[in-house]
Formats: sequence, structure tokens, C-alpha cells
Amino acid sequence: MSETGTGLGRSWTAGACALVMALVLPTPRAWAQTSAAGTAPAPAAEPAPAPAPPDAPKLRNVHFRWDDHPTLHLAKGTRIVFRARFQVDNRHSDAPIPDADDSSVDVARKRIGVEGEIAGLFDFQVERELTEDDPWRDVYVNYKQFEQAQFQAGKFKQPFSLDENTSPTNLDFVYRSMIATRLAPGRDIGWMAHGRVVNRIFRYEIGMFEHDGQNARPRNPERVSGDQTWAMRFGAQPFRTSKTILEDLLVGIAMTRSDLSDQTGLPEGIPGLRARTAFDQTFFNQDVWIRGRRERRGYEARWRPGPASIKAEYIRVTDERLDQSVEDTDLSPFLAKGWYVSGTFALTGEKKADGLDVPRRPLGRGGIGAVELALRLEEMTFGSEAADDVPSTSPRADVILGNTDRVTTFGVNWYLNRWVKIQFNVIRDKITDPSQGPLPSQPVIWNRVVRFQFQL
Amino acid sequence: MLLSRTAGAVLMAVAMDIAPQQTTAELFDDAVLHTVQLFINSRDLTILRQRFGENIYMPADIVIDGTRVRNVAVRVRGTASRNPTKMGLRVDFNFYTPGQRFRGLESIVLDNLYQDSSNIREMLAMNVFRRMGEPAPREAFCRMSINNQYQGLYGLVEEIVPEFAAGVTGEADGFLFEYHNSFPYRGEDLGPGFDLYKMLFEPRSHELETDEQLYGPIRDLFHDMNEPDDAVWLERMTPRLDLPQFMRSVGIEAALAEMDGVLGFFGMNNFYLHRSAVTGQQRIFIWDRDFAMSFLDLSVVRGLVDYPIFGRAFANSELRTAYLDAAENVARMIADNDWLESEVNRLAALIDTATREDPKKPFTNEFFDQEIAFLREFARFRPAFLMDEIARVR
Repeated sequence: MSETGTGLGRSWTAGACALVMALVLPTPRAWAQTSAAGTAPAPAAEPAPAPAPPDAPKLRNVHFRWDDHPTLHLAKGTRIVFRARFQVDNRHSDAPIPDADDSSVDVARKRIGVEGEIAGLFDFQVERELTEDDPWRDVYVNYKQFEQAQFQAGKFKQPFSLDENTSPTNLDFVYRSMIATRLAPGRDIGWMAHGRVVNRIFRYEIGMFEHDGQNARPRNPERVSGDQTWAMRFGAQPFRTSKTILEDLLVGIAMTRSDLSDQTGLPEGIPGLRARTAFDQTFFNQDVWIRGRRERRGYEARWRPGPASIKAEYIRVTDERLDQSVEDTDLSPFLAKGWYVSGTFALTGEKKADGLDVPRRPLGRGGIGAVELALRLEEMTFGSEAADDVPSTSPRADVILGNTDRVTTFGVNWYLNRWVKIQFNVIRDKITDPSQGPLPSQPVIWNRVVRFQFQL
Repeated sequence: MLLSRTAGAVLMAVAMDIAPQQTTAELFDDAVLHTVQLFINSRDLTILRQRFGENIYMPADIVIDGTRVRNVAVRVRGTASRNPTKMGLRVDFNFYTPGQRFRGLESIVLDNLYQDSSNIREMLAMNVFRRMGEPAPREAFCRMSINNQYQGLYGLVEEIVPEFAAGVTGEADGFLFEYHNSFPYRGEDLGPGFDLYKMLFEPRSHELETDEQLYGPIRDLFHDMNEPDDAVWLERMTPRLDLPQFMRSVGIEAALAEMDGVLGFFGMNNFYLHRSAVTGQQRIFIWDRDFAMSFLDLSVVRGLVDYPIFGRAFANSELRTAYLDAAENVARMIADNDWLESEVNRLAALIDTATREDPKKPFTNEFFDQEIAFLREFARFRPAFLMDEIARVR
């Protein structure tokens, strides 16, 4: 968490101001990640239906209406939707939380933005964090005239990882999985061709980006990350047309490829990938030298039968270490890998595939909202591909003395109504080599977090 | 599976010794010219040479007499001898791989022999100390290369570490300090604070203890050493310093005409201070004797002039006797069957080719020959000079 609030009062003041700004300012600001189904950014993974025939804008049709969100309709097929989201966390951990103040309250997100469409041909989204430090999130335009062949350009998340491309609004847990947060590339500037074909059974996303994403791009300029990056993701819903319980099953693969360099262009250095727990606590901090190519492989699956859901991913990232041995020869690649398996169940009976963010019986309208239980098992490991020697912390060791964090997260999600969501997570980290972790004599770390989310 | 590998590594590293079947005695066999090969990534080697004044560790592999130890750490070492051309190096076996040892050692020193044109003074001096019963680091000569490029003749030196001290004192938990000649210091009382003492004494064990625990007894030692009341001086000093051991050691040093030792020309230098965690008494271990045997006729009581505190110990008859006996025993030992001259000849022959081929030595082969000749003369002249002067002093 890069920002830390000084208390709930300040957070809500900021939130209220942002909300007013979002409602009154005509300037496009920000919001992203839609999808009631709770998976991916709309243009990337859940494209809008085939566009209606373009119609000439008629200014006399301009009007403001509160649909699901405050919306300015400019013409048929042309509208601007105003969005805002505020999240406040209350956190506790056995281990010190980096950058946390004594209040234990953390303003996780303060975002405003706009999204919409133009003449039924383009989607757009502009999203901004209310912070001085790297404020812009999704800023892109998507040409969507043909569902089978769409084109998107701007700044947005690279097509890699189901979890990373799930909207914060629809996350099953307070924090994304470690592999999505640390190993998936995240946002970057670039372009992407994407679409759905064969009765929308298959989907593809292929793009090129300036770098390999913000998640892997360190603030320390001496650390290296990927340069120009190719990213591609392929998915299939093989039973989509079957009208069976397997109809929603989605499987996919993804990969990225880039050459490594630091921010001054030097081709070698220490990697920007970070081995950190959900609370940003480091459990592997060895400065190994890397040079060459970075490759990611990802495998993902999701199934949402009725009120339940199961989701799983495996990600593997390798950084080559060309010429990095003590004899200037190649070392085995630096390896970061991990997986998660998670499941949810809506106690109040909502269909997960339809999303729980709009409860059937909201609180105050004859119901208690939607309540969901969630469980996630995950693991992330940093080390090297080679395993045939004694591991070492040497920056030029062929076999790196790695470390693993195994995490179990139990969660309860309460969607009070379409605007308010409260999440409670208990997180148990078990670090294989605690001497590299935040509590060197304690392998198991217990954490808990409560998140209050308001979205417009 | 990396997970099991990681856990396994932690267990393996607890007592992982490379070549444990071979002994340290073999490693420091000074009858053999050993070979040491270092492999350092070219980028790291450039940094080591560029920043030779800093104690930066770099990863390396080392091959000693054919046995490879992977993932060791090396850094440039030395004070006056520190240079980027023929780097003196400290090799740490367990810096990156916890528990890794080579023949039982956690580290060794590769002495660049940069200040001694004969290359053999230190080896000769350490052999004398050991033959006189004073503990001294073991040493051997080696041909040293980095990335297959010959760097010259080096000394392979046992480092003074807590284990070395424990082997001598039988106490595993003592306090060990390396003395640094940060400013010319001859044992004056430096006052109640610790700052100046911290510049002189670097802890090599118990590094995390408080300043009071580390430096309090050192401050008290030098305070009491300078107390004016001669009547209680010995009584106060005895619990703080093993005075007989101190006098024996500096007596041997004086016999060897050492100019850069405990009672050095430019202040105290080249020793370690060890303190018992049980009794609090302190003692010294000698280190780095490459300026020994530099004078034929250096007075054995020169320290009386330069070090008033040494004079107070010398005033005590028992301690004076211990000092003079040590010096006299050195004189007899090196003269016995021309032991020292034989050693000069043996070691000079052992290193002759390696020295002449040394591309980075800061002296010519002619100068090497002259220095060896001087040491032969020292071996012949010094015993009689010592016996004569000691008899007069007694």
C-alpha cells in the first residue's frame, strides 16, 4: 500500500470531495474495470455486445440520467459514465507493515474517472488515483465495431493473469493473489488486438507494450525490468453453448516476453520483481544479477456454477542470467513462480456469474445484502531454475537460496447494496525460510484486514 | 522442487565443509608452493579494482590445490599494502553460503606480500613465534591467479578469528578485537569516552554488544596502565592484561628487529586483542610481520624510549626477565644449526621462480636477490648482537 491515511475522518473528507468533483467536472477523469461478472476489464475480457448501427449524434438528446451510475447521454451510442471508488482498510499483522503509520488505517484507493462509448464504435476509460504519485490508471480507447477484431490503445493492464485483470470492485478477497500482484505485469502503455470468435467460445488478446508493466517496474532505477514487451493471452469457454453447468467454465493461457534493462538502458542489474507478502513484507531480498530475456507463462481457469466459484492460476517468470557467472558464463535463470486456488460461495444465493455487487435484497430494502464466504490457498517461490548444487545467497550463484511463502486466506464479503461492500480477511503466511522474512525466528505470520468500499 | 531444496540447504549448510578429509596443516604446509585460482565476474573485478579502498565483497569461486569452493566472497584488504594492482584479498567461505567451510576454516587471507621485497619475512617471523611457543597464524606460499591470469606470489594466511583464539585459550566465547593503526598511538589514556578506542579496536566477535561491554574493559586497561602510582600498578594491571604473555611476545618481536609491530616505530600496530569472557583478562595475538628483520642492529630495548608504559612493565624484575629471556631464546634458536639461514635458503628456493615471474610485484628481481642476501646476513649477524646486548642489559 503506497498510501497511508491518518484516519477515517480524513479519508472520508477526501472521498466526499472526490465524489463532488466526479459529479460536477466535465473533464474526463477516471474509472475502470467493470464487468458485473467480476472478471476482466470490459474491453479486454468481457467485450460489450455487438454495436448498434452508428447514428449521427443529436445534441437535443443530451440529458443526464442515473442508470447504474451517473451518466451523461450525449447521443445514441454516445455517453459518459462517471465513476468513483474509495477503499479504506484496517490492518493488523504480527510483523511490521512497511510504510504503515500507527493508526493501522490505510486508504487503499481513492479513484475517480469516466468511462463510456462514442458513436457505438469506441469504448473509452480514463481513471485517476487521487494522489500525486503516478496517479493515472487506465487511460485508453477501444475500437469495438467488430467483436471478432477490436483494437485498444493507451494505458491499461496487459493481458496476463485472470486475477490481475479482475476489477478491484469484484475481487473475492481484499488483496489479489501474490502471483497476480507481484508476478503479473500489470498496467503499461501500449496497444492490443483482441476479440472473441467462434460463437464467443474463444477469446484472444495480443499486444505490445512499452515495458513489462508497473508491477515489475521498480522505483529504484538500478533495478531492471522488461523493455518493450509482447503479451498474449488466449482463453476458451468450451462449453459456452452447451447450456449445462459447465457453460461458464473458462480456461486460458498467457505469456509475455521482453528484454531486460534498467531505467538508464543498461542491460544487466538486479531484478525488479519483489517477493512480498500481501502486507508488503519482504521474504526474499537477494540481489542476484540478471541479463537477457524475461518470460512469463500463465495458466488460468475459472468456473462459477450458481452461487459458487472456483478460480485457479499458475504463473512462472524467468529472467535470464547471461554472462553472469563468476567466469562470465551463463547461469540458470532466476525463477519466480506460484499458484493459487480459490473458492467462494454466496450464502444469500446470488449467482456468482452475475456478480454480487448488485444484491437481490439490499440492506434496508427487505434484505441483508449479499454475503459470501471465500477461501484461497496460494504459494509463491523465488529462486533459480537450477537445483543441482548447494544453494547460496551469492548474487552469482547458479543455485539461489530461495524462499517460499505459503498463504491461506479466509474471507467474508458483505455487499450491503450496490454501493457499499465490506470485506474481512484473515491471512496466514507461512514462510519456508523465516530468516529471510519479516520475523526471522517465526515462520508463521497471522494478519487480518477489514476493507470498507464505497463505489459510485 | 525448490521448496525442499531450500529447506535442505539450510540443514546442509550447518556443517558443510569442502574437503574435510584434508587438514589445515596440509593447506598451510610451507614446504609446498600451493596454487590458488580465483574466478570473479569481469564486472565485479573491475569494481574491486576501482574501489579497492572500500571493503566491498564480491562473489567468486576459489580453487585451492585443485579443490573448488563455490560462492565464496572476496574483498580487498590491507592498509598500507592495499592497492588495485596486486590486491591483497580476504576470502570468506561462508559469507554467501551459511555454514560453508574449507578444511574447517571460515575464511583465509591472500597476502599480496606487497611491502616485503624478499617475500619471506613474514613467513620467517611467524615460524619464529610458533617455535617460541607463541601462537601465530599459519602461512604458506601460493601462486595466485584471477580468471586464469597470474597475479604473482601470495601468502596463504590463516586468519585470526574467534575460532583461532578459542583454539589457543580454550575459551569459545571470548572477545576478539583487530587493532587498526588509525592514528599513532602508544598506549596513552584516551579519556573516559569510547570514540577513540573504537577507531583503534574493531570487534571481531560479540559485534552486537553495547559499547560499554565491548570497550569499557579496553578503556580501563589503558587508564590503569597510565596510573601514576607504581606501587599498585602491577596489582591493577594483572587482572586486565596477561603481562608475562605480553612481555614474551614483544620480546620476540624486538629480537626480530620488527619496526611495525606492537611496539612499532609509528605507534602500535599489527596485533589482535583478546579478552576472556570469564576472567576479563586480555592478551595479544600477533599479525602481519612483513617488516621483521629489517635492521641488523636494532636495539632490543628500543621500546623503552618510545613506549613509557612498556618501561613500567620492564621495571618489574619478573617481567623484565620474561622479556629478555624471550629475546635471548630467539637468538639461540635462530643460531642453532644456522636454523634461520637454512630457512631463508629453503624458502627463497621455494618461491624463486614464482617471484621472478610475478608480473605485479612492486620491485625488481635484482632487489629481491639483494633482500634475500640481507636476510642471510641478518641470520648470521643478529644472534651475536642480541646475546651481547641482552647480557649488557641484564
